Formats: sequence, structure tokens, C-alpha cells
Amino acid sequence: MRRLDIRARMLLAALLPVAMVSLLLAGVFLLARFDDIQESYQQRIRSVARQLALASEYGLFSANQTQLQTVVRGALRDSEVRWVAVMDARGQTLAVAGHGVDAHELVYGTKEDQVFDAQRRLDTLSQPVFATGIKLDDLYEQASSRSDGLPVQLGQVVVKFSRQALDARKQSMLLLGAFISLFGVVFGVMLAAGLSRGVIRPILRVTHLIERIGRGDFSAATDVQAKPGWGGEPLQDLQENLRKMAERLGHVQEELERQVNTATQALREKKEEAEQATQAKSRFLAAASHDLRQPTHALGMFVTRLAQLPHDDQTRQLIGNLEDSVRAMKNLLDGLLDISRLEAQAVQVKLAPFALSGLFAQLGQDLAQTAHDKGLRLRIRDCPIWVMSDATLLYRILLNLVGNALRYTDRGGVLVACRSVNSGTQVQIQVWDSGIGIEPEHQHNVFKEFFQVGNAARDRNKGLGLGLSIVQRTAELLNHPLALLSRPGVGTRFTLTLAEVPPAEPPPDSMNPERAKGDNLEGAEVLVIEDDALVRSALVGLLGGWGIRVREAQGLADAQDLIQAGVKPDIIVSDYRLQDGDNGIAVVQQLRRQLQHPVPACLMSGDTDVTLMTEARAAGLTLLHKPVRPAKLRSLLRHLLAGQPAEDDLR
Amino acid sequence: MTRRRLCLLLVSLALCLAGLSAHAGRRVVIVSSDNTAAYMEATQTLWTELARGGVAPEDILLLSVPQWAADPDPSWQASVYVALGSQAAIALAGGHGSVPVLAALLPRSSFERALHNHALKASSSFTAIYLDHALQRQLALIRLALPQAKTLGVLWGPDSMLKAPALRAQAASAGFSLNEAGLDGKPNLFPDLQQVLNGSDVFFALADPQVFNSNTIQNILLTTFRAQVPMVAFSPAYVRAGALMSLHTTPEQVGRQAAALVQAALRGKPLPAQPQEANDFEVSVNTHVAKALNLTLDGKVLRLDLRQMERLP
Repeated sequence: MRRLDIRARMLLAALLPVAMVSLLLAGVFLLARFDDIQESYQQRIRSVARQLALASEYGLFSANQTQLQTVVRGALRDSEVRWVAVMDARGQTLAVAGHGVDAHELVYGTKEDQVFDAQRRLDTLSQPVFATGIKLDDLYEQASSRSDGLPVQLGQVVVKFSRQALDARKQSMLLLGAFISLFGVVFGVMLAAGLSRGVIRPILRVTHLIERIGRGDFSAATDVQAKPGWGGEPLQDLQENLRKMAERLGHVQEELERQVNTATQALREKKEEAEQATQAKSRFLAAASHDLRQPTHALGMFVTRLAQLPHDDQTRQLIGNLEDSVRAMKNLLDGLLDISRLEAQAVQVKLAPFALSGLFAQLGQDLAQTAHDKGLRLRIRDCPIWVMSDATLLYRILLNLVGNALRYTDRGGVLVACRSVNSGTQVQIQVWDSGIGIEPEHQHNVFKEFFQVGNAARDRNKGLGLGLSIVQRTAELLNHPLALLSRPGVGTRFTLTLAEVPPAEPPPDSMNPERAKGDNLEGAEVLVIEDDALVRSALVGLLGGWGIRVREAQGLADAQDLIQAGVKPDIIVSDYRLQDGDNGIAVVQQLRRQLQHPVPACLMSGDTDVTLMTEARAAGLTLLHKPVRPAKLRSLLRHLLAGQPAEDDLR
Repeated sequence: MTRRRLCLLLVSLALCLAGLSAHAGRRVVIVSSDNTAAYMEATQTLWTELARGGVAPEDILLLSVPQWAADPDPSWQASVYVALGSQAAIALAGGHGSVPVLAALLPRSSFERALHNHALKASSSFTAIYLDHALQRQLALIRLALPQAKTLGVLWGPDSMLKAPALRAQAASAGFSLNEAGLDGKPNLFPDLQQVLNGSDVFFALADPQVFNSNTIQNILLTTFRAQVPMVAFSPAYVRAGALMSLHTTPEQVGRQAAALVQAALRGKPLPAQPQEANDFEVSVNTHVAKALNLTLDGKVLRLDLRQMERLP
């Protein structure tokens, strides 16, 4: 059975008995009534026939056709009588009235007879007419042998009655019965609907209430309270309990919300505190690094310039020590810069196939001196394998790894090797050392920033502890898995796994920033814009030492004045942050407009701000971070003069 | 009525028992055609009168026709038979031996038929008291009751037709003209009746079962009433049904007359050779019909007047 909702079920339960009783009663009474009508009809037509027979008696006795005709015509006045005939004892028809019946069908009989023609709905009654017998206590009569004493039949009356009126009455009665039944049912429906509404409404209301509470709308409870007309309803107790439940639920929820809000507020305050602390740290770091860079920058340049001058051996040794210290300081600052750039996700990966051989050669060239100074053996095995990676970033990883190995190795040597694994799909680059090794409990920490094993005294000659952190972050960036295997006192092995590709054309010789080319910087004119007098004089000294004609300006106005005076620089080297809020990018662009020529230019900045890097890249200018290594600056100037674009390693 | 019947039955029983031990030659055996009220009344009167006349009750024997027919042997030791009704008369006509028979309570036509059936003639050994009255007496009554009447309507049937010549003669002498019909014996009597009633002052009914019976009487009376012709009949039943009056003999009167004859016969006087007419009568009048016809009649007065005319006591 189809599922019915509660309203339909209640209606059905109330209605079914009503309808059944109504229909049954109607049926029973109609049938009884039909029987009565039929019975009374039969009695009536029989009595009409008998009356006709009586009325015809004297007419038949006297053979008075006129009188008989009157009688039969009178009988026709009865609406049910269709046809009447009176026959005499010989079967001859004496009087007929009515129409539609063939008189030939008539049969003379001596008994009462009734025939029903269902097709024409006609009842045919034959009624014999006897002379009315009067009891004569007569001695004379009995004496006669010729008198049989039986009643004498005078004739016969035949009457045809139509049942149409009867049928019509039955039909109208049926209609009336149907109407009364219908009325009963309709009344029952209305009554049932009215009564059931009183029950269903509270149920639906409770259902609705529960739905609302289920949705979390606890105000439904107050609605219940607000309706005073609900008193005396069947489900009042249920509603009242529901209301109380909803109220309690509402209170509990409010309490919970309040607690959550309090906790959230406390957390937010903590978070804000932490963020503020981080920002303060970042600000401090940025400021400190910027402020450190300027003097370091200048120092580097002064030392380089100093080394260019003729000195005696003692002084030259001092200058050599000075240069080492400056390089160590620059390395520290570069590490900080790299970390900040990685943190800022400002490093973009440019994957390309290249041969590892070039990279390894550069590595040997860069670190051979360091190894030699410590009396260590640096072996880099040549490797013909090509890989898919970012050459600059990979070189940075290797430089850090090998540098780190050299730093923590006192005797023995460092080995760099590569081999093809996984049937030639991957290549492993391994860096071996015979150093102090890393305790197992420290092996997870070595990749953290500023972590150094066995440097509790923070000997800054051993760096800041940023190298492995940079390595790990860069390896993650390149998606090259990095593995560490170390035994304290025996040595350490780092393994870097990357994708191998088949060899292609000879690799572009890009990994050679300090490769000596023909030095054509002689006689070039460079405009230096630097607001810091110390840095400016160091830079001017350095460039002058390289044989460059240097024009110096404090800011935009000075530079414009120089150009106005006819200076046409080959290259513009500008500090980014200038006096009066000017920045290097805007200044370079203005000067280029003034010169009506896109003069090659580069920027130098002590800021490690990410936005600055993006802006410089957008303006097509190479940004050098202070302290700038003189070699790097020289290489850049050479490229700019040759009209070559800035190289990736100068980023 | 029931009590009376019971009484009669007891009497008959007593008579039966008495008859068994009676001595021969002095017995009166009554054979009755029926046991309806009229017969019972006649029987009772007869028995009472006989008893009063000195006949011992045990010498009066009452039999029904079947009883008598079952044993017609003269072992009944009857000295005289009284046959009440037509059937009894016909049965006794068949074999009464030498015992004289007095038939009573039957019309003349029935008696004559019984005689005719057994080729008998009325004699002192087989005689009767007629139920119907002499035409003269009836015509006298009509004259008395309806002095203005001149024409008598008569409807003849097969039985009554025998009286036609006598009536024609008597009517003429009594000053009546006759309007007759029905002689041809047609089955439909209405046209004849219609014809008779047209132009008649009185409709004079003469007993004939073919014409006057319980089936026809109502319509005949209706017709006469419509025609405003008074009917003079021969039985009180017709008066009750709507005839104006009738001249008739009551069973009691018959019983009394029969008792007188039987007692005479017991004393040794033979029964009258000629059948007797009733020596007493009654006149019944339907006062409603009389009123409707604007007549004022009294049956008793008419009877007395008639007896006076006949010089009866």
C-alpha cells in the first residue's frame, strides 16, 4: 500500500465506516423500498383489474357496450393503464380503450392471469368477470338438477399496465438514495476533516517545531509560548515539553558559543602577538642586513682596490687576510639573502637539460683554493651525464654542500661523484667527506636555520649555519630528494637524486661568471648614482682601478646635471634607495628618457625586499645585492657593455 | 343458532336410538335431503307436533338420504315416510314399498319430476305438500298490494313454463294482462328481461332455477330496480336481495301441516290422494325497496287480508 500521510490516514479511518454505513443503509432501504413499491404496484393493478371486472359485471350481463366503453375509458384515466378490453363469455370483445396493442393477441380464460412483457414494460392482467353470487337459502334452487350452483362467468377484462411510471419512481428513488448517500458521505468527509484537523494540526505543528529545532532554530520554542490559544489542545503537554527542551538546548548552545568565542578571541590575540613578533623579527632582520650591507659593500670594494696597489709582502699578507674576512662576511650575508629569497618564494625555477661536467668543473675551480688552504684533497670526478634541472640552483646546492664538507673536515678530503641509477632514468650526485660526522640525534636538525653542530661558541668563521637549510629548501623547490648518511668521527655523505636526460648539444657556457674574457672595460664611461658617500667613493675607487672613467652623482638631480653637461655614460650603476625618496628604477628610466637612449643599467641595493626584486625584473634591470662581489660586478659590467642580457646567476 | 343445531342433533340422536327398539307398524321415518336450517326447522316442528300428538319419541326416526339409500329395506318398520326436500322425494319414489310417503318442502315441479322419473302418479301412498302457492293466491296478493298494477311481466324458464297456460287463464280472470318472454330458452336472458320489464307494472317471478338463481338474481334485481318495476318473488331470500315482496311458506308451517297429515295417517286415515298446497303462508316485504318505489306495504296486514279473502282461519 502506498504510504499515506497522517492527514489522509485519519480521513480514511473516519470516512470508511461512514461511507460504508451510508452506502449499506441506502442500499438496504432502497431495496426494501423497491420491494414495497413493486408490491403496492402489483396490488394496485390487481385491484384495478378486479374493480374493472366488478364494474363490467352488469355491462356484460346486460351486454351494454356503451356502459362498458364508459367503464374502460374511465379506467384509462389511471396513468398506469395503457389499454383495456372487455370480452363477453363467448370471447368477443365488447369494449376497448387505449392504443398500441393488438387485440388479436387476447386469449379468453377463466382464471386470473398476469403476463409481463419486459421489452415493452407492460403487465397484462386477465380478470374473469363472474356474476355476483347471492346466497339464496332456496329450496327451489336445489330442486333443479340443471343448476350446478357454480358461479357463472360473464366475460373477461384484460388490462395492460405500463411500468414506466414505476420505473421512473424507482429511478427517482435511486437518485434520491444516491443523493442522500452522497450527502452523507460529504457530510462525513466534512465532519471527519473538521475533527481530524483538531488532532492533525497540533501534530503537524509539533512536527514543524521539531524540524525547526533540528535546524537549530530555538526561537521556535518562544513561538509556542507566545500562542495562548493552544490551551486545551490534545498535544499540549508534548508541546510544552518540547518547548522546555528547545529552551534548554538553546541555553546550552549559547553557553557553548560564548566559550568558543572566548577561546577564539584568546587564540586570535596569541596569533596576532606571534605575527607581530615575526614581523618585528623580519623588520629587524631586513634593517640589520641592509645596514650591514652598506659598509660591508664599501669595505669589500676598498679591500679590492687596496689589493690592486703595490705592497710589500707583509702588507700583502695582511691584505690577503683582510680579503678572507670580507669574503666570509659576504658569504654570511649571501646566505641570509638566499634564505630570505627562498622564504619569500621569490626564486623561480627554470628547468632545462644540461651536462653535469661543466657544473663540476666550475665547482672545482671555485673551491680548489679553499681545500688547498685547509690542506684537504678535493676530488671531483668528471661526469658525462646530462640532467634536467635548474643549473644555477643546482650549483648553489653543490657549492653549499661541498663548502660545508670542507668546513667540517680537518683531514682527508672531499669527494664529489655521480652515477646513473634506476636503469638510466635518474642520477645520484654524492658528496663524501671524511669529517667529524653528525650525531644521529642531530641529523634532523642540521637542516634547520642557524643550526651548527659543535659551534656553541658561534664562531662566525664557520658561517651562520644557513648552508644546509638553503640546500634543503632549494632541493625541495627543484623536487630533488636529498638524503643524509653520517657516522660521527668517520664522515658524512649527502646524496641528491635528480632526473637524467639523454645528452644533447654542448651545454651553454653559462656557469662561468668569473671566467676571464678579454678585459674591455678600459675607457668605458660609467655613471654611478649613490647617496651614501662612503659606498660611492669605494665604488668609484674600484671602478677607477679597472680603468673605467667614472662619473658620480648623489641623486637624480646631480645625474641630470651631468647629462645636461654633455656626459653620455655607457652604463648607469644606481643605488635603489636614493635620497629624497627617489628610487633607482625611476631614476634610470628618467635618465634614459633624457638621454633618449636605453642606456644599459643595473641596480644595487642592500634591501632583500621581495617586491623590489619583482619591480626590478619588471623594469628589465639587473639587481645586485649589497655587498656586491667586485668580480660579480665586473662580470656584469662586461656583459652590459657587450649588450648581453643580465645572466641568471646575477640575480 | 349453534345451540339450536346442537339441540336438533341431540334430538335426532335420541330418535335414532329410540327407533332401534321400537315396535313395528307405528313408526314415522323422516328422510331429509339436507341438514340446512330450513330442513332442521321443518324437522323440528314436525317432531314437536308429532310428539304433542301422542307419538312416542322413539317412534320417530330421522334419516338422511344416503342413510336411507344404504339400507332401503323395510326393516325400519315404518308406517309412514316423510320425505323432506326434492332429493328425499326422488329417492323414496324409487322404493318405498307399501308404506305411504308424504313429500314436503319441495316445489311442485320437483314433485312432478320425481313422479315422472318413476312413472308414478300422485296417490294416497305417494303424495306431497307443495312449497309453491297457487297462482290465484299470488295474483290476489299482487292485487292487494299493488291495486293499480295492470300488466304482469313474466319471464319463463324451462321449469316454470309448465305453469304458463294456467297463469294466462288466471291472470285474465284476475284482470291482469301478461307481458311474457323467455319461451324460446335463449341463454342470454337480459334482452328478454328488458322486453318483459318494458311496459310491465309488476315483474312476477315464478320459480325456475335456470332463470332465477344466486348468479342471476343480483343483475335481475338491478335491472328491475332500474326499470322501476317492483318484483314479486317466491322466497324470502329474494326479498332480502331486493325484491319488493314474496309470498311463501315457512319450513315451520310446512312441518306443522305435514305433522297433521302424518298423525291422521297414523290414526288410520289415508294420506290425501291429491298433493296439497300449503295451508299457511307468510308475506315478506322489503321496506327499503317499497320506500324507494313510493309504496307503503305491511307483510302482516297483507297476510291477514289474504287469509281473510281465502276464508282461512
